[in-house]
Amino acid sequence: MSELPPTTSVRRWLVTTNHKDIGILYMITALFFLLFGGVLALLIRVQLWDPANQVLSGLAYNEAVTAHGLIMVFWFLSPFGFGFANYFVPLQIGADDLAFPRLNALSYWMYLLSGVLLGISFFQGGTLSAGWTMYAPLNVPMYTPSIGSTGAVLALAMFVIGITASTVNFLTSIHHSRAEGMGIMDMPMFTWSMLATVWMMLFAFAALLAVGLILASDRVLGSVYFSATEGGSLLWGHLFWFFGHPEVYIVFFPALGVMLELFQTFSGRRLVGRKWVIIAICLISVQSFLVWMHHMFLTTINLEIKTLMMATTIGISLPFDLVVFSLIYTLMKGRIQFTTPFLFAFGALLLFIVGGITGVFLGAIVLDYEFRGTYWVVAHFHYVMFGGATALFGGAYYWFPKMTGKMYDEFLGKVHFVVFFIGFNAVYASMFIGWETPRRVFEYNPEFQIFHQIGTIGAFLLGFSFFIMFYNFLKSFVSGPDAGENPWDYSRTAEWAIPSPPPIENWPNRPSYASGKLEFVKDYVPDGGPAVKADENGNAATDGGDSHADHIREYAHWDKHPSHASIWPFALSFATLIMFLGLSGFNDSISIGAADSLATTPVTISNPIYPVLTVIGLLGLVYSGVKWGFEDFYAPPAEFAERWPFNGVEKVKLGMWFFLASDVIVFGAFISAAVFIRYNAGWQEWSPLTESLPGLINTFVLLTSSFTVILALVAAHRKSRKGLLASLGATIGLGLTFLAIKMWEWHHEIYDVGVTISENSHGDPVQASIYYVTTGLHGVHVVGGLLIAGFLFYRAYHGAYLEDERPVEYFGLYWHFVDIVWVFLFPLFYLF
Amino acid sequence: MIDPITLQQGTDWRAQAEVFDEIFFVFLTLGTVIGIIVVSYTLWNVYKYRDDGSEAPEDFDAPVVGELPTGQGGPKAKKLFLSFGLSAIVVISLVVYAYGLLLYVEDGPDTGDEGDIEITVEGYQFGWEYFYPNGHSEMNELVVPADQRIDLKITSRDVWHNFGSSDLRIKSDAIPGETSETWFTVSSEEVQEQGGEATYLVECFELCGSGHSAMKGQITVIPQDEWEEWYAGTEGDSEGANSSNVESDLGTPSVTGSAVGGVSA
Repeated sequence: MSELPPTTSVRRWLVTTNHKDIGILYMITALFFLLFGGVLALLIRVQLWDPANQVLSGLAYNEAVTAHGLIMVFWFLSPFGFGFANYFVPLQIGADDLAFPRLNALSYWMYLLSGVLLGISFFQGGTLSAGWTMYAPLNVPMYTPSIGSTGAVLALAMFVIGITASTVNFLTSIHHSRAEGMGIMDMPMFTWSMLATVWMMLFAFAALLAVGLILASDRVLGSVYFSATEGGSLLWGHLFWFFGHPEVYIVFFPALGVMLELFQTFSGRRLVGRKWVIIAICLISVQSFLVWMHHMFLTTINLEIKTLMMATTIGISLPFDLVVFSLIYTLMKGRIQFTTPFLFAFGALLLFIVGGITGVFLGAIVLDYEFRGTYWVVAHFHYVMFGGATALFGGAYYWFPKMTGKMYDEFLGKVHFVVFFIGFNAVYASMFIGWETPRRVFEYNPEFQIFHQIGTIGAFLLGFSFFIMFYNFLKSFVSGPDAGENPWDYSRTAEWAIPSPPPIENWPNRPSYASGKLEFVKDYVPDGGPAVKADENGNAATDGGDSHADHIREYAHWDKHPSHASIWPFALSFATLIMFLGLSGFNDSISIGAADSLATTPVTISNPIYPVLTVIGLLGLVYSGVKWGFEDFYAPPAEFAERWPFNGVEKVKLGMWFFLASDVIVFGAFISAAVFIRYNAGWQEWSPLTESLPGLINTFVLLTSSFTVILALVAAHRKSRKGLLASLGATIGLGLTFLAIKMWEWHHEIYDVGVTISENSHGDPVQASIYYVTTGLHGVHVVGGLLIAGFLFYRAYHGAYLEDERPVEYFGLYWHFVDIVWVFLFPLFYLF
Repeated sequence: MIDPITLQQGTDWRAQAEVFDEIFFVFLTLGTVIGIIVVSYTLWNVYKYRDDGSEAPEDFDAPVVGELPTGQGGPKAKKLFLSFGLSAIVVISLVVYAYGLLLYVEDGPDTGDEGDIEITVEGYQFGWEYFYPNGHSEMNELVVPADQRIDLKITSRDVWHNFGSSDLRIKSDAIPGETSETWFTVSSEEVQEQGGEATYLVECFELCGSGHSAMKGQITVIPQDEWEEWYAGTEGDSEGANSSNVESDLGTPSVTGSAVGGVSA
């Protein structure tokens, strides 16, 4: 463990794992991407000034449109919200930090460096030009051949890997580290919104990860999913929108959370119908997964499904009505203070009302038929998503004093709001008026020119308004007046009860709500022993009735100080960047000739840079992963915490459960893709490509290895080092056997039968792609499991896990999961 | 639900454009009225309850830092549910109303025994090719008769396009490997008004590549007798046109409108 350097040192920002530092990094990075995406938006607006005169070529325009969408949705909106979440969710629930501080740093670096990868893609023969929705088959190399297109797809995949880590982290933190007395219904509304957000993210981003991996496979390995006429295009539509619709709420909810907080703070009133607002938010989160086909009303889906999706779509507007009315009624009879944060939050509500009403139009299918692909849609989702983000800027002003200890300039803030609000409506209201313009078209009907010109002027105004904010924040940070602990009259949440900026470990003593309000209690900590819970008067109580606290006492190391610094999250992310950069041009640099066995296959490398980068990145990944594993990093579990509904589940185990839940969706998406394509090709047309015997043997091999993992856990529990080593060794041996049989099978298919990832001498090429990619993903999981098993074996050899066998148990959870997946894959690819 | 009879007066079918205009008008009117009411009510209240710097009243129960969050009940909660109920009624009735018209748009008008003309539209980078029942094909200009229901079967030979004409309010996805459908009809009165030949712009509504912006085509509607004459003239080249079109010229699309010009002159 290394000490955390001071904030003035660059090293501090590379190694920090503290949630507040990372929150600030998120926000600054997100604002940078706002500028990046904003410049692209202005390029688009300049192009639209005159339908006959163009500054960009058709392809360059498409690249600008695509990158603008991707950057704003993925690299600005969500991460900006997550900046606040990083900083304030732990404070609002009374935690010291997020559950897994290093994982949190990893998420951030994956986010930043995936953005770098996207930036690099512009210089690799042009970035992706298929739109942010990346409809198939425009997204495959046949139609978007540049290396940069692959780079952009890989950047998105890398971003999603970071997001998944972040999701698991927040879910575990909120469900595991709430201060004593803070039941789940007692959480502040911003935290509630974030909880709903991360629950949606857990499943939605898993679907995006799956579809991104399939697309990356199409682009890098040469599989043919999305160019297949057996439903390839529709497959993309379904998987993308299964993610894409929840994504709208994922980017909106953090902003909604800010609105819910700010409306209360600046009116001095509590939320009206609070319980019902929470229920509405939960309902929306569930319903968001049931409406995705309303993005596909004009495809070939049938009337029954369209009707169902129309009903669910209208259904999801109802809980939103309730939330909006609750916000409005909360203000009534209050003492409303028109501060900058309130203006932004209130402006966001007005914009969201416009976005919501125009969204109901889109829910009526007949109207959707005409609005599809037009500026009506563009205007609508900007009102919803960017309108929502308006509240996030309010959040930035609201929490600026807490994060910096300085007060911003109120006058400049109000000027920013006015310019922003006028600019915003000039851009997007004009889009409603000129809505008949097709999306992503710049040679539009000259009748609409005046509206597009108003839009362009508005866009520049909107862009300019942010420089007022940047100036305000910079000036105030340097020379603003001190803000004090709590500059607001009616703030309620715990972050306002501690100094600005808060100290590194947040609290003077353990925060507790046991008495119904926030108190800092001093627990009695005997030398080297577990803490003893203090009672309401601050005296040590020895009732010992808290069973989950007891559970933690077994494992916690009371004499250790929490760690706040590690370089490995950065190193791991940087290695990923290098590897993905290498992969982006891998396909173009290597050609593999035909041969009758692997040993004699001619490989021609035309450009060594990309393959070399891939290998360096991969090695770096393994190296930093191992260093991470060996690092002595201590993140203590909260001693006394509210954990509903996961009482008694240890922190890492809970994290593992969340991770596996998202992996279920990833495999679910791959299996659904296989079933969907096969259904479209005609189910009976296909028969298994391979012999069933090797698959059957592998099934037995894997199931046996599940058994040996259990033996390993039993041995560790009995403190038998030999038994542990033997059963872990057997697991590794069985895993390697599985891979060997798999390799034999693939070799046989490729060189003897002539079935490769893109060619199939016996039928549809896509069938071969599905077989290799799905079983390949499973194979990658087996390889990952073996690497972890090897690490455990090494540690066990040196005597680890006999005192604390939990790592063996958690590895076992993962390994059983991988085996269960195989039980689903076996019949799909070997029997039927 | 809407009675089909009201949609179909004799042979005077309602075009999709008419149906759209009606629903759009209803939604726009209601949406604007409701939007203005909600926003003005909110603004008025925000102004009314502004903090004017005066002393807070005795019973002003202000929240404090560190309290466990609670909500507000009482008369405001009642108001909340009342407003919610009202909004639900408005939204649900709007959708039920629109659904009735959707069923009409989905099936199109019942044209009885009269033969509908079924034309296959194939999108490509960057244009449209139309295949007639007799095997004849046209690039980028669809020539059809007035007063007849035209059924379009829409597909694509490369990437995902979207075939649409804003004037006719028709639109459908053109997806490789899939066939979607839409229909339209233009009355002879309309053709007369436009001087014997009605033309409508066709655009692509899904990003499909570098030429997406310029991917425009045209639908030309001419009187029935003129069309029949023109169509009979295409019969001869059907064999040849068909086979050459299967291989198709993916190169520069050209508008082959000369045949039409000859007919309508």
